[in-house]
Amino acid sequence: MWADSDTAIGGNRDRFPSTQVSLIEAAAGEPLAMERVAELYWKPVYKFIRFKFRKDNEAAKDLTQGFFASALEREFFRRFDPSKAAFRTYLRLAVERFAANQHEAETRQKRGGGVEFTELDDQAASVESPEEIFQQEWRRQLFALAIEDLRAECDRGGKGTEWSVFEAYDLAEDARPSYVELARRYGVAETSVTNYLAWARRRLRGFVTERLRGVTSGEHELREEMRRLWS
Amino acid sequence: MELSDLVLHHLREVVDLPDLAGTRYELGEEIGRGGLGVVYAARDMQLDRRVALKVMDAAWAGEARLIACLEHPGIVPVYETGTLPDGRVFYAMKLVAGVRADRYVASNPPLGERLRVAHRVGEALAFAHSCGVLHRDLKPQNVMVGRFGEVYVMDWGVEGVAGTPAFRAPETPFDQRSDVYALGALVRFLLPADAHPALIAIAAKAMSRRPDERYADVSGVLLEIEKFQDGLAVEAYVESPWQRVRRFAKRNEVLLWLLAAYAGAKFLVFFARSL
Repeated sequence: MWADSDTAIGGNRDRFPSTQVSLIEAAAGEPLAMERVAELYWKPVYKFIRFKFRKDNEAAKDLTQGFFASALEREFFRRFDPSKAAFRTYLRLAVERFAANQHEAETRQKRGGGVEFTELDDQAASVESPEEIFQQEWRRQLFALAIEDLRAECDRGGKGTEWSVFEAYDLAEDARPSYVELARRYGVAETSVTNYLAWARRRLRGFVTERLRGVTSGEHELREEMRRLWS
Repeated sequence: MELSDLVLHHLREVVDLPDLAGTRYELGEEIGRGGLGVVYAARDMQLDRRVALKVMDAAWAGEARLIACLEHPGIVPVYETGTLPDGRVFYAMKLVAGVRADRYVASNPPLGERLRVAHRVGEALAFAHSCGVLHRDLKPQNVMVGRFGEVYVMDWGVEGVAGTPAFRAPETPFDQRSDVYALGALVRFLLPADAHPALIAIAAKAMSRRPDERYADVSGVLLEIEKFQDGLAVEAYVESPWQRVRRFAKRNEVLLWLLAAYAGAKFLVFFARSL
């Protein structure tokens, strides 16, 4: 059902490196908010660095980890001014600066100094820009986290059938089963399948909104981000 | 856990679709998407007619109530407003068959038709202003021209709407003169490349950077357009004496021809008598 992942760091709540979370907690003083930021943005940042700077898996992980650590040391999140840009844009630009500096420092070390950093422009000519990849990964991670929230709610509320119908239909990688087939498979009426899917989608939208609310500065930015999520 | 592009695409589609269960509407295709929400075609199953259904964040609920209060031939009538199970709000309105003003202009209509569209938009705007409502985001994409010449102003804005840069007045907060600015930009957009300088001057005056240098209200713009169409001098444009003579001659063309004919006849009579 899920596509193979080249890295699991940060993408899954269970696997998120606890050292990063604790660093965020220590620096920000708002553990829940910081955890949400890292949960949502770890993978987009990792993918952005990997693509834009042509880093291998481990190097990109290190840079991503380094970015979040550095951000905390500099009270990066507290310096965010919502009147100037969306938090997502602010974060991406900061990642770009950080990774470019690191890359430049590495290159100088390897070549004895004085080497200009030129890879960015070459890579910007790729089919999909790093910014587009960042945005797509942001969407992907947002939905992945919201799906986890939905699954947790289903587990808590004894809505196993609702979850199964949703998983079988909306998370299907290949051909989707028909409503009739799902009704037969789970021993429910066809109208129940429709209702379960409508409920799950409605809840999923709610969880997406809540996840975004946790990493935006207010209602205005939240609405703008919701709009961008579907643009 | 990583979602594939395929699943992500599907989720984005289905999660955004409004859940219309419990309403009288059956969802059709998406027909527009803007800053405030998404517009779908839908079928009113009780009355068996097609409608446009605008779905938006609950924060914009005021927009639906606001537009429902505006009854004018240039403003799309709202049939019903409601709330979806996920908290979003919607309003059902007349589904207008026609083209947006930007596509309408691409069909290269005659000047008179372009000015008629601008005038109709101005009338709707003036009416809304008289009700204390601003548009805030007037632009060609928000004007529909119907197949039978009807003109509708759509997507009435609400407090906080930023507007579209090319049509947005520079000042904040917005007031009626901000809409005058947008109307000027719209008039300029509707004009052909070889438009008369007086018309360009009307648009430019409406688009002055300083609000107090614009027309005081929408009626001022409409009056100027009417003056131009009647062959009268417009406030926004200072003519040269030669242009004034030409305009006078054009406006009184028939009279001047009659006078010329009369003078010619008199001359012939006089000439015949003197023979």
